[in-house]
Amino acid sequence: MTGQAESIPAPFRARYCPLVDDENAFLASLSRLLPKAFRINTLKSTREDVSERFAGYGIGLATVPWYEDAFVCDNPEAGFSLEHFTGAIYMQELVSMLPPLLIRDILPGARMVLDGCAAPGSKTTQLAALMGNRGTIIANDVSYSRIRALKFNLEKVGALNTVITNRDLMAFPDMDFDAVIIDAPCSAEGTIRKNWEVFDTWSARGVQTYARVQKQLIVKGFDLLAPGGTMVYSTCTFAPEENEAVVDELLKSRPDAKLEPIAIDGLKTSGTVESWDGAEFDPETRKAVRIWPHHNDTGGFFLAKVKK
Amino acid sequence: MRRKGSSETISPQDVSGKILGYMEERFGLGPELFSPYRMYLASKGRVYLGPRNVPDMPKIATIGLLIARVNGAVKPSTNLLQIMGKHVEKNAVELEKQQALDFAKGQDVRLAPAQLATLRDGYVLMRYNAEPLGCGFLRLGAVKNMLPKAKRLPLRFI
Repeated sequence: MTGQAESIPAPFRARYCPLVDDENAFLASLSRLLPKAFRINTLKSTREDVSERFAGYGIGLATVPWYEDAFVCDNPEAGFSLEHFTGAIYMQELVSMLPPLLIRDILPGARMVLDGCAAPGSKTTQLAALMGNRGTIIANDVSYSRIRALKFNLEKVGALNTVITNRDLMAFPDMDFDAVIIDAPCSAEGTIRKNWEVFDTWSARGVQTYARVQKQLIVKGFDLLAPGGTMVYSTCTFAPEENEAVVDELLKSRPDAKLEPIAIDGLKTSGTVESWDGAEFDPETRKAVRIWPHHNDTGGFFLAKVKK
Repeated sequence: MRRKGSSETISPQDVSGKILGYMEERFGLGPELFSPYRMYLASKGRVYLGPRNVPDMPKIATIGLLIARVNGAVKPSTNLLQIMGKHVEKNAVELEKQQALDFAKGQDVRLAPAQLATLRDGYVLMRYNAEPLGCGFLRLGAVKNMLPKAKRLPLRFI
């Protein structure tokens, strides 16, 4: 993890530097380690209690302007705290907290919610907290080996309102979910700040493989929504093939899909890529947002909120 | 209570009643804490507490969380005692700091006479500063550690 801006592959720079407002700030941010963060598990504790205890430990916490239950904590010892042991806090990267936040207004009364690509459970555990352990969450993951981590984390936070399924989302029967989260498997370019090895296998062609799967997942996720339901599609990558192009595909194949604007107080979001590789995306895709690492000192992220 | 798997000899209805009775009698945990959920009986007497509304679909790996094992007697899980620990009214051990550190890393704990005063032998909730840590088994003045291995941690800040 000793990445320097100079060692970022040239094709990577060529793809993404033209998309950002400040090339130098963007490249410099990629070389800085990602600050560690956690979320208060409101099923077991409160931010007041945790803040007070960490102050007692002498471990500094920084608040996050856009989420009252998130804290940045750069002391690696936080993982050896009583709060981590009891599940009062959940270690989670900041941008990974965004998908459930986009639907937090509908979660308390939701009857049935799907986390389509759930392991290792960051979003599922947050959904359970925002639902107050009521309703039902189907936490699905196609990978059997990742189910174990998912189960462990659901136990840790005390998420009683969950059902774990282990199958290909494409094989799901017809269902009517109030909300669906598709945090899609992706080329993970936005996680470079915690995982420099992303560059070891990175290639512009690699993103095409993910894009094919993502296009199937977003359409299936939409089909699983009840009328009036809401889906959040997200990735932790910069590639337009895996972001705007995937949303564009949904809009083409499901004319009843409508995007909703996204605004989170205190979080700087950026506009989408309007055309790529000679193709113009549906103007509706502009309601999605990008989160660049240098704007909020986070990983990179993409979010689209879709209404049926 | 729904049945999951078919290797049990005890009926699901009996298990539900047995668990609710045990939780109230042993820990003072009333049935209203369980009523938003449903119990599911799996193989080897494992009982899960999960959502009432579960769609009928294949490839379900787990419903809710493991709250107890019932093989004759009821054995509560650390999951359950962590979730409902703040409501526990009896058979909870208030630990000293060193005892809490020992318990969290998986060691058995010997209790002082004052700590034993209100306890009866059997499963107990281990608590530190009102925070529920997990499940232990009290016998002859010592608590056997029942924390699952994966949950043990050498704590530095408590």
